[in-house]
Amino acid sequence: MRRNNFVERSLTGAISFLKDSVFADEYASAKGFLQSLDPRIKAFTFVLFVVTAILAKSAVICLILYSLCLALACLSGIHMGFFLKRTWIFIPIFSLFIAIPALFSIFTPGEAIFTMDVAGLKFIITRQGLSGAVLFVSRVVTAVSFVVLLSITTRHFALLKVLRVFGVPQIFVMTLGMCYRYIYLFLEIIQNTYLAIKSRVGTSLGYKKGQHIVAWNMSSLWQRSYYLNEEVYLAMLSRGYTGEPKLSEDLKSGARDWAWLIFSVAVSAFLLMAAGRGTV
Amino acid sequence: MDNTIFRLQDVKFSYLGRYPALCGIDMEIVKGQRVAVMGANGSGKSTLLQMLDGLLFPDTGTIEAFGRTLNEKAFTDTEFNRYFRSKVGLVFQSSDVQLFCPTVKEELLFGPLQFGFAKTEIRSAFDTIVGLLDIEGLLDRMPHQLSVGEKRKVAIASVLMILPDIILLDEPTAGLDPRTSRELANFLARYHDENKTIITATHDLHIIEEIADIIYVIDQNRKIIRRGSPHELLEDTAFLEENNLIHSHLHRHEGMPHVHKHDHLSHYHHHS
Repeated sequence: MRRNNFVERSLTGAISFLKDSVFADEYASAKGFLQSLDPRIKAFTFVLFVVTAILAKSAVICLILYSLCLALACLSGIHMGFFLKRTWIFIPIFSLFIAIPALFSIFTPGEAIFTMDVAGLKFIITRQGLSGAVLFVSRVVTAVSFVVLLSITTRHFALLKVLRVFGVPQIFVMTLGMCYRYIYLFLEIIQNTYLAIKSRVGTSLGYKKGQHIVAWNMSSLWQRSYYLNEEVYLAMLSRGYTGEPKLSEDLKSGARDWAWLIFSVAVSAFLLMAAGRGTV
Repeated sequence: MDNTIFRLQDVKFSYLGRYPALCGIDMEIVKGQRVAVMGANGSGKSTLLQMLDGLLFPDTGTIEAFGRTLNEKAFTDTEFNRYFRSKVGLVFQSSDVQLFCPTVKEELLFGPLQFGFAKTEIRSAFDTIVGLLDIEGLLDRMPHQLSVGEKRKVAIASVLMILPDIILLDEPTAGLDPRTSRELANFLARYHDENKTIITATHDLHIIEEIADIIYVIDQNRKIIRRGSPHELLEDTAFLEENNLIHSHLHRHEGMPHVHKHDHLSHYHHHS
């Protein structure tokens, strides 16, 4: 029975994940500290924190930065349960698989702190392995948390504009914006097409039949996107587009943004200097 | 002084060289006219509007705009391209095609920015058009957060932002509820003045008298078969029925089923 629902579960799961993670701007539209900052300065300072976490050779620095990240999330009205869930779901997948083997003496030789005997094989966890794994995981946690915090407190079109600060050409920014805009439209088409099929064939869609329908749907969607692509291009030409897009640059920064920038640079510099001297 | 804006002579066009869309169209549109192009689905109305906007070009026959023949070569002339695009604006049938920017505000600014309008000019047009169409509350929204009626209003606003003298509207009331449809018709009636030429493709007879002084009807053979005033046309119910613009259908009044022509002009009628 579950096998029969594979197509439905995959489609609805993928659509709801995309809608929730990419298109939900509940937090980005709320009033809070990070939401009030100029996206360009916010993005720059967050990149600075991520770089500091990567360069730091101490887990303590990463944990200080992580605490700062959590404090910023609180100041910005982010529900802590939601934030931790969003960030910690990815961390085991991407980091623990790499970090766990590094604990053992096979990969990181050093001073043994714990020994396990499994089926006659000895597994030794070393101090060096443990500290390396902790540093790695704390770096990933900090970096992922800052990136997630940036994305949920900034509206996506503002994030795209931030790319201009990093020298990304306008044509790429515009193309990304259009991708973002039309992905939602296509998600709706997929959802409606699937509902239309379901309404005609009932709930028990066979596995093989489901595969055929998905394949047919993909081809139909490709045709629609090709048609839409031509129509959108005509709509752009009609409003004066000549191949070199000109986009609005309406982001503004104020005293609060500059104060935040100075604070962030000072914190990063202090942490890196402290790490250099070996005080943390 | 010749006030002719568009002159079409025996215009024929087919998609992929196989599927005919227009089969010999002759038209002349002068400055300040309000024109409606009517016809059933698939009669080539949208194709005609895209041709008037210089997006498609005839296979045979000629289209002249502002005294110059419209063809691909004409639009390689930067000066003419800029002049023509700033004078003529097209509101597409599907608003999703037209709303390609991430937010409503960006959408409104797209046209003026491509033409390099001065900041003060953009500001002034922006304030006026946002007020006219009452879309201030939508400015920070993304297109997928808008209803069909809101999308249509924003699509119209995005075209008006380039301050065109000629506005082409493709089925502006399609898919709208009666109230929004009426608001749009009222807006178009108010927006018209002697300098604005408004050309609307529609088969919505509800709004035709308010938005047009001259009507062209295209038949299923994709040719213009009639030109006249809205009053003349609406009187000729036999002609409207023959061309799929009204229909007869069975319905009930106080439990009594009967058939009569449904012209969409007066839903409330009496039976003696």
